[in-house]
Parts: sequence; C-alpha cells; structure tokens
Amino acid sequence: MAEDVFLSDDLLRQLMSVGEVDLLVGMSSHNAANTVSHALDAIEESFQRNFVRQRVVIVHVGGGDKDEDGVVAKGHGNLAETGLRLPGITSLRTSHRVTANVPDPPSRGIALRTILAAADLLRARACAVVSPGVSNLTPDSIASLLRPVYREKFDFAAPLYARNKYQGLLARNLLYPMSRALFGCGIRELFSDEWGFSGRLASLCLNQDVWHEEAIQARPEAWMAVSAISSDFRCCQAFLGEKPQAAKGLGTDIVEVLRQTVGTLFWCLETQQSWWWDCGRSQPAPAFGPDHELTADPTDLDRHRIFEMFRSGVTELEPILSSILDPETHSEIKSIVSREEGKFRFKSDIWVRTLYDFAASYHHAVINRDHLVQALAPLYRGMTYSFLVEHSDSSPADMEAASELLCGEFELQKPYLMERWKAKIEVKS
Amino acid sequence: MRETILRALREVYGNLVHMIAEFLPRFLVMLIIIVIGLLVAFVLKYILRALLGVTKLDRVSDDAGASRVLRMAHLPPMTELLSRSIFWVTWIGFILVGLSVLGVAGLQEQISRLFQFLPEVFVAMLILFLGAVIANFLSRTALLAAVNAGHPSPKILSWSIRFVVWILAISMTMEELGVARQTVISAFSIIFGASMLGLAIAFGLGGQDLARKCLERYLGDTKKKEDKEPQPL
Repeated sequence: MAEDVFLSDDLLRQLMSVGEVDLLVGMSSHNAANTVSHALDAIEESFQRNFVRQRVVIVHVGGGDKDEDGVVAKGHGNLAETGLRLPGITSLRTSHRVTANVPDPPSRGIALRTILAAADLLRARACAVVSPGVSNLTPDSIASLLRPVYREKFDFAAPLYARNKYQGLLARNLLYPMSRALFGCGIRELFSDEWGFSGRLASLCLNQDVWHEEAIQARPEAWMAVSAISSDFRCCQAFLGEKPQAAKGLGTDIVEVLRQTVGTLFWCLETQQSWWWDCGRSQPAPAFGPDHELTADPTDLDRHRIFEMFRSGVTELEPILSSILDPETHSEIKSIVSREEGKFRFKSDIWVRTLYDFAASYHHAVINRDHLVQALAPLYRGMTYSFLVEHSDSSPADMEAASELLCGEFELQKPYLMERWKAKIEVKS
Repeated sequence: MRETILRALREVYGNLVHMIAEFLPRFLVMLIIIVIGLLVAFVLKYILRALLGVTKLDRVSDDAGASRVLRMAHLPPMTELLSRSIFWVTWIGFILVGLSVLGVAGLQEQISRLFQFLPEVFVAMLILFLGAVIANFLSRTALLAAVNAGHPSPKILSWSIRFVVWILAISMTMEELGVARQTVISAFSIIFGASMLGLAIAFGLGGQDLARKCLERYLGDTKKKEDKEPQPL
C-alpha cells in the first residue's frame, strides 16, 4: 500500500502492536511539550468519559523533540498502570499512544498523511484531528467531533464555534458562502485546527495523489471536506464552544491567511471542477448543537487604516487587477474606491463577481497564482471595512440574514463564474 | 580613336552581358532556394503545430508554469512559439544558403561568420527573455508585498527592482554579444553603484523619519499591529 512507503519502520512496528481500533485521535506539534501534555490529558479524559468500551489510540506526529516524545511515551499502555485513570470512571479498553517522528517541523500535510495512514492501517472507524496549540481543547470538544462520525455514521465533522461578530470575516464573507454555493454543502468552518472524519474518508484521501501539492501541505482540512462532499459522503458540523485562539496561529497576517485558505479553495475548484460544475443548489450540513453563536464583545479595530489600505492597494495594484478582473468589475471597483470613506460600501454583487473573476483567473493562470491570491488582500480589506460599518449595530439575527443573502448572491452568480471559467479555454483551443 | 572607344565599349558591354549571363541563373537559383525554403518552412511549421497539438504541449506548459512565463513576456503560447521559431529558423537558413549561391566576393565569409555568431545571438536573446521575466516577477512580488504591508511608496520599490534587473540583463546580453565589453562592465558598475549609494544616502539622510518608522514597524511591537484588523478566520 502507498502508506508503507513513507511510514518509518518504527511507526509501523508501533501500529502493528496496537492492532485494530475504533477511535483514533491525531495531533501534530513541534517543540511544545507543555501543550502536548495538556492535549493528551484532554484526549484521555474524553476517551474515559465518553468512549469507555471502544478501542482507542492517540497518534502524535512530532519533529523528534525529546521532551515531547517523553510526554507522549509516559502514558503508553494501559491507563490503569500509568495512574492516569480518572476517579469513578472505568475504561474497559487499553488506550494506546503512538509517536511518529517526521522531518522537523512537520507540515500540516505531512502530519495529516501520517495520521490518515495510521487510521487506515488500524482500521479506525472514527478519527479526529486536534491541535495541541489551541487554547481551549477540552474532552467535550474532542467527543463532539468523534461522536457524529462514530455513532451517527457521518464521514466528515467540521467544527462550529461561538465567536465575536467582528472576527472570522474571511470565513463569513468568502470561504463559507463561496464553498457552499459551488460545492453544494454549507460548512461554516472549512479551515480549522480540529475536525473529525471516518475511516473510509481517511482511506479515500490517503490514496489521492495530491500530497506533494503546496495547498495540501499548508491546509489539507478544506480539501478533505471537499473530497467528502464530492464523493457524496455525509458531512456535518459539531458545535465546540468558543472559537479557540491558536497559540502559534497566523493571527491577522491576512496575506498568509489568504494564501493558505483562498489559495487552497481555488486549488480545490481546479481539481474538483467536474463536481461543482454540475452541482445544484446547496444543502446545509446538519449541525450538532447550536448552529454557531455570535458575541458582541468590544474590539479594537482601526477602520480608517483598513479603508486606507484598501484604497491605496486598489490604486497601486491597478495593472495587476486589470489583468485579473473583468473590465466591467474593475471599473466598478475603481468607481467605489473614489467615494468618501463614510459613503463607501462594497456591494455583495460586486464582491461576488470580484471573487469569481479571481477564481477564473486562477484557473487560467493569468499571472503567477501566488501573486494572484496576494492581490486579493486589498479587496478583502475593502469588504471587511464595508462589513464593519454596515454591521456596527446589527444583531446576530441581522448578520445571519445578511450572510444568507450573500450565500444566495454567490449561487445566483455561479453561471458568471462558469462562463468566465470556460471563456479562456475556448480561446485557447 | 573612335575605333578604340567603340572597342572599349564593346568589351564593357560584352563583360556586362557575360556578368549578367553568369549572375542571372545564380539569382534565379537563389530565388528558387528562398521560395522552396519558404514552402519547407511553412510545411514544417504546420507539421510541428499539428504534432504539438496532438501531444497537448500547451496543457503541459500550463501545468509546468511555462505558459505563465510566456504570457508575462507577452509571447504567444508554447505551441505557437515553437512553430513560429521552426518557421523562421528554417527560412533564414534557406535564405543564407541562397545568398551564398550568388558567389558575391566576401559575402560567403560574412555568412559563415553570421552562422558562427548565431549561437551567441540565441544565448543573448535567452538572457534578455529571462531578464524580462525575472524583472517582471520580482517587481510584482515587491509591489504586492509593499502594498499589503502598507508601505508608503510601493511603486518606487517595484520600479527600482525592475530597473536593477533590467540593467543586469542588458549588461549580460552585451557581454555575451561582445559589444564594448569593458565599457559595458564599467557602465554597469557605475550605474548600479551610483543607484545603490544614492538610495542609501536618500534613505539615511533625506528620509530619517521614514527609516525610523520602517524600523519601528518591522522590529517594534507586532501585537499592537495585529489588533488593528479583525481575525480573518
């Protein structure tokens, strides 16, 4: 099998000694012994509280850090022997820990591939990937990801979070509505640090010849979700509570976030063209727990700076944007840029057409694809500014209604994307 | 006297007729060779285009990123570029062979020199092509990075990089062609050195505040900067 080629002998030996399992939780880390220890405790507790009778394993993918390996190895074997058993709770099965040392530091793609290979070899029925770096990894959140897959037979479980209404605007205004309109399944958190999946989805993804792709190395979770959707696998969402803050996250480095998320989404459009081309109207993915929550804590946002960066960006990047955008879309953007800050609004129809122009230009590779995604940053800032102004006093219900309208706009304009997608191919032939 | 003049004129006329009689067939042969060359070049162009179309070279070129490079340099797609190249190389080859048939004194030597010089011309063209592509790529990279970082003068930065790469590419091209080697190297050193010194002085003396701001931005408290924009995810 393909996984035999890249799995080390040591890892194979460890996996063979485990045998078959029901549940697998995988995580990857690098030089983070403290957070790994916390994550292991949370996973163990989750197993003991929620999956007493199941055969379980934790797969840790690390870069060979001795402290981390020591932490992971400490609990190897029966929980009763290691003193990690929780008072009053009886686990009927042995919990195993497996450590995979990969080149330092492990990329997300390498880590996921190792976890998928382990899941495939151990014939795990339900799996979850968690990140030790997130601040509020709890036993309940891990169980929430595993339960829909193990008990309800879903193949992909994406997380849902409670979050501040001004945060996650890329997901709200681009990733969620665009992926929902094109792939036909409404998954709000396509890019996250934690998600669940079935053994059969693991096998399907493992056998894809995509692991060398940059998009997969950076953010493989969205591709996994899209693979599940395009293979008619069942997808759902599980509410995990407040959105965790990654300990070593990307923060607000918008360019890097765009590269990893929008770049991956465009790459998925490219590779799954046959699916989304014929895909009909979107269906919501079932949610376990509340269908996300919005809070309105005060935030320190510099709207003026965001608007200025949008305005200067669109002006300075005019030659680049003219090669990406349709002339009509470009002239509309230039006309709204000239408006005063107070009167500026980025209307949803222009926003959607802009994104579809970017997607089509990515497909036709009109300029270097990395440059193309970077050129989206000023426009995203414009949309962010418009959103912040429009929804400064909106209630969660109003924002949800606006989000639905935006999703509808994406679906409505899908033929525009298809037309632009096709246009250049006809010219070429 | 009259007889002498007439004899001389007859001799000149005879020589002229003889020369034309010798030259015309050669000229006709040259024209035939050029026309045949044109036909052969056309045939080769269409055969190559068809073959490359069957092998879907453009798709391979798209995948490898070569199409993007060609587009950036305002060149046609790979199949078209190769077909046109084979056409011109073939036809120019036939034209040169045709010219050598004329037997013009010194021309054959010049043609053989031209054939010897051709590889250097190709290498020089390749250097210029790569220079154009690299200048375009690097200047756009700088422009995007500067715009997205909120740099005050992104276009100046972008143009500076484009200028430096172009100067370098042109110098290398001249060096390859052997045109005024010493002059080109000296000119390049002077222009490049003067530009860098000028920029350093302008930035260090003329733009002390800007230099301070830049250093503060890159080395200062990044946490404060992050708080100004909402988390995208």
